Amino acid sequence: MHVVDGALSNEVVIAGGVLAAAGIGWGLRKMDMEKIPAAGMLTATFFVASLIHVPIGPSSVHLIMNGLAGLLLGWMAFPALFVGLLLQAIFFGYGGITVLGVNTVAIALPAVVMHYICRNGVKSTQKKVAVLWAAVAGGGAIFTTALVVTLALALTGEEFIPAAKLVVLAHIPVILIEGFLCGSAVALIHRVKPELLRDTPSADGSPVHA
Amino acid sequence: MSQYGPNVSNVMRARGALDTQTWVNRTDPRARVIAAVLFACCVITLDSFYALGFALAIGLFLLVSAGLPAASTMKKVLTMDSFIIFMLLMLPFTTPGEVWFHVGSWEATKEGVLKAVEIALIANAVVMAMLALVGTIDAITLGHALNRLRVPENLVHLMLFSVRYIDVLKVEYFRLRNAMRARCFKPGNNLHTYRSIGYLLGMMLVRSLERSERILAAMKCRGFNGKFYLISNFHFQKRDRIFSLIWLCLLLLLLASDYFYG
Amino acid sequence: MDNLIDLKNIHFAYPAHPATLNGVDFSLKAGERIAINGPNGAGKSTLFHIIVGLNRPTSGEVHAFGQQRIKEADFKEVRRRIGLVFQDPDDQLFCPTVEEDLAFGLFNLGKSAEEVRQIVEETLTNMRLTHLRSRATHNLSGGEKRLVTLACVLAMEPDVLLLDEPTNALDEATQDRLLEILNTIPQALVIISHDSHFRRKVTERYLSLVDGKLVHPTPKCKHAIA
Repeated sequence: MHVVDGALSNEVVIAGGVLAAAGIGWGLRKMDMEKIPAAGMLTATFFVASLIHVPIGPSSVHLIMNGLAGLLLGWMAFPALFVGLLLQAIFFGYGGITVLGVNTVAIALPAVVMHYICRNGVKSTQKKVAVLWAAVAGGGAIFTTALVVTLALALTGEEFIPAAKLVVLAHIPVILIEGFLCGSAVALIHRVKPELLRDTPSADGSPVHA
Repeated sequence: MSQYGPNVSNVMRARGALDTQTWVNRTDPRARVIAAVLFACCVITLDSFYALGFALAIGLFLLVSAGLPAASTMKKVLTMDSFIIFMLLMLPFTTPGEVWFHVGSWEATKEGVLKAVEIALIANAVVMAMLALVGTIDAITLGHALNRLRVPENLVHLMLFSVRYIDVLKVEYFRLRNAMRARCFKPGNNLHTYRSIGYLLGMMLVRSLERSERILAAMKCRGFNGKFYLISNFHFQKRDRIFSLIWLCLLLLLLASDYFYG
Repeated sequence: MDNLIDLKNIHFAYPAHPATLNGVDFSLKAGERIAINGPNGAGKSTLFHIIVGLNRPTSGEVHAFGQQRIKEADFKEVRRRIGLVFQDPDDQLFCPTVEEDLAFGLFNLGKSAEEVRQIVEETLTNMRLTHLRSRATHNLSGGEKRLVTLACVLAMEPDVLLLDEPTNALDEATQDRLLEILNTIPQALVIISHDSHFRRKVTERYLSLVDGKLVHPTPKCKHAIA
């Protein structure tokens, strides 16, 4: 869900920019140079994931996977997902320049929120528990993203509210699919390399112990 | 590879092809980044259709000047999120105002139609200018330029690092998908599909993080102690000063035309 | 026509690269076992990818099981009947456990959960890999990964098996296991291999891919001809 330039009121654009800058700044503080290879690699992986089409009904959607990004990156999801959005905006023309802040908040804030809500559950040694919480994170992140976009539109003008409501409704299947995908991905990580899910001290937000 | 969707690597690598010395390419990347951002900030404040038409013309002129391939670029320009298109189509019916026409029992207002057209014009003008001015800078140079424009260093390194590996991961992804295809995998609306793609993603994440550990180890073997270095040679020349001056005049003209016709 | 595979005058080039394949003719009969060698980058893997339709030739005809194959839909059936084992096992293995990776292909063939369970069990037993059943694919040794990728493909019961450098980086014990397995299965085989001993033990004849063409290897004196 990329909002384009011109759709939002100036106040919303500025507020989005400020919030995004704060989130990115906080994320960067958690990311010393030693963590750049891991964070950069995850950034690249989530960028590639965003190119994947998943069938949904007769059509298909691009993945966002911000819930999974939040679980693995914590606050560093802000700079990581911002870089992805920046590259998409510049090289593909998705989204825009002035709305980059709003778009970053819409994608990265839910990632961080899900990190705090689901992180402990995902760390569980019981696979079922971990997968369930991962699914909550995956679906919940998309739901929150839809809410943030709706809020940005609603603050801009009442005329956007009906469209925004329908957008949230239209995203219900996406919420289910991303939740299921996130659960499956965590099921794999749980089986193959559970330390990825556990090593991260939640306050620190580091994906790997260097 | 175009069948797999947008290809960032082509854009980021095809510098040789794009560097057919147009004046856009010869202008200092830093000036281009700032020009694009200022342009976007000006354009979103515009209300009058004269000024917006003018902005769109500037965008088109830049696209032509940058020597971008016409067909694929136009496709990028017109690519909008389906949800945005949906929102624009709904605006005429949800905006209060003077009723203009009916679709069934729905009343479309003039204000709503104008608002939707306005948003579409702004979005397209900005995307055109951005693709022409910034999209023609290769990702590596862009990182250096952003660094010189005081973007935090670790953010720049994060970007450079991911740009470096996006291609590698994309190739890995397509190899995995090919191998799945060889085993008769056909994506559909079923749990088998979603589970398989979820596993695929999880596997890529695990491999990526393991690779990053090896990279860090190799970096440490070469004496890495927490500092990256950027070597960039930018020269702000006379040409860049002229570009900046003309650009500022254009932006003022845009704002003025909006003020007088708005 | 009793050939399983027939390639006629296949040409192929990757975008912006010189031609990789330059008029390849190839045929494979039921029960036949053929090896292919040739220098690195000669296009051997590409040839396999063309047979199963992962790449389309720029010109030439691909026939499989008595029918010309042109569209993606044509190749869907081909892929059910020709099993391709990739050069790098990590390209193939992506599920959490060995069992699930084997099941992946079977689900794609539309088998029921019960059938899948049964076939997985049989395949693992036949290949003496039952001890790996619930191991994580990612953490297997190189040799185990190779045997599992072969099991994944054999579980789908193909008529033809294409193996892309199967002995790469295998220790001798695993090589022997692989030989033993390949020599007990009835399928027609095409193997890309640089290992002449291995070739001789598994296949009846071999071809070389040189300058984009498949040729019968000439004796050492080829420089004299030029």
